[in-house]
Amino acid sequence: MDNTIIQLFPAGRRGFWEYTAMHQKFVREIRLRADRPIVVHVDGREVFLDREGHFTDCQAEAAVITSRELAELLEHICHYSLYAFEDELRQGFLTVGGGHRVGVAGQAVTEDGKSLRTIKNISFINIRVAHEIKGAADRVIPRMYDGGSLKSTLIISPPGCGKTTLLRDLIRQVSDGNKWGHGMTVGVVDERSEIAGSFCGKPQNDVGMRTDVLDACPKSLGMMMLLRAMSPDVIAIDELGNREELEALSRAAACGCRILATAHGESREDVIARFDVSKAVWRQLFRMVIILGKENGNCVVKAMTEGGETDA
Amino acid sequence: MLKLAGACMILTGCFGLGFWYRRQFTGRVRALRMMCDTLSLLCSEIRYGRGTLPECCEHVADRLAGTLGNAFRRIADKMQENTGESFAQVFEECVRVPLKDMPLKEEDREEFLRFVSAGTFGDSQMQLALIEQSREQLDVRAAALERENVEKCRMAVGLGALGGLLIILVLC
Repeated sequence: MDNTIIQLFPAGRRGFWEYTAMHQKFVREIRLRADRPIVVHVDGREVFLDREGHFTDCQAEAAVITSRELAELLEHICHYSLYAFEDELRQGFLTVGGGHRVGVAGQAVTEDGKSLRTIKNISFINIRVAHEIKGAADRVIPRMYDGGSLKSTLIISPPGCGKTTLLRDLIRQVSDGNKWGHGMTVGVVDERSEIAGSFCGKPQNDVGMRTDVLDACPKSLGMMMLLRAMSPDVIAIDELGNREELEALSRAAACGCRILATAHGESREDVIARFDVSKAVWRQLFRMVIILGKENGNCVVKAMTEGGETDA
Repeated sequence: MLKLAGACMILTGCFGLGFWYRRQFTGRVRALRMMCDTLSLLCSEIRYGRGTLPECCEHVADRLAGTLGNAFRRIADKMQENTGESFAQVFEECVRVPLKDMPLKEEDREEFLRFVSAGTFGDSQMQLALIEQSREQLDVRAAALERENVEKCRMAVGLGALGGLLIILVLC
């Protein structure tokens, strides 16, 4: 995955971005705003790019990106086929080769003032550089098996604490097989292309050899489709968000599928309260709950709960 | 006997010349029709496959034989390499050469290349409309030429044959 971000830029600008691409490992985000300085988030700090494309803390030396360059960049990212990314642009982001996510903002065009038709005059682009961490699940995976059988697990975490990274590595390890269990067929409904980072239907991240990915599909609909079409042993989804999705998960569980899911929240109670479903239902659906958080700026597993008993 | 053989050869030669001209007239129509078919395939790929232009070119190349098919394959391959060149640059570079070898007028070539130079749109309907416009223009030209060609072709073959007869009569 090294230096894949250079591929996002048109030929004429590759020289400028070479330095950033060389340091891709440390780059988290590239924020581009029309006629404003280029801002790069590198290892938790914010830097500008000077005219040579090198990192600088001095705003006066910062290089500015023009509207025209921004439009060219977007065209290149979309393979000169903006129409093919109509739905993605409407959602405000698209996933590109290498699994990176490109968020866009500009002038919204609405239909009857209700739904969003498209975004025009795109003047803000945020490139979130993908960082796949293999082995992120090494410390939790031994606890997720019971005599070789995988326990359905819910990962709860506030934003930015690594729940998608953890889920991705769990999927990979469950799919490929590991010391505690044999390889299982995993069906991933990747509504926001964050888990597999699919580009043109092909996963850009390693999600395991027995994983089938349904990309950019609403989760509740996708789970039923996967159940019917791919008969997975495990269903995995990111960011469980509403009752409908929870019901689809319950149906999948009733079909004998194991569940791997994530949800925004600080604690188990926080999530239960949001969905207005009894604790018994949750306990039936998820045998294991992993709670993530941050300590001293690092993402950590705060607690692992099995059947209501917390084990720090 | 020798005179008869010579007369036959002159007649065949002139007749052949007439046919050659006939082929030239129909060649442009054939090339225009091929270009229309290519753009139709491209439109279908965009309409139903919703693929990117390089992807659509790859699919069109699978279904298209001859030089244009090869050119579209080259476009798909070059875009896959992602050298940073724009689609318009790659498309023109790969398609210009085979188009030059076809019996076309410069305006036909420009019409075929018009949709790439106009850029792309965020809306598939607009993108399709742009390509359809070029296809329709080429189709209108081909239809007009076909109408004219009926007379022209008849005249070319007829003139060839009559010319041959005239030469034979003069030489006799």
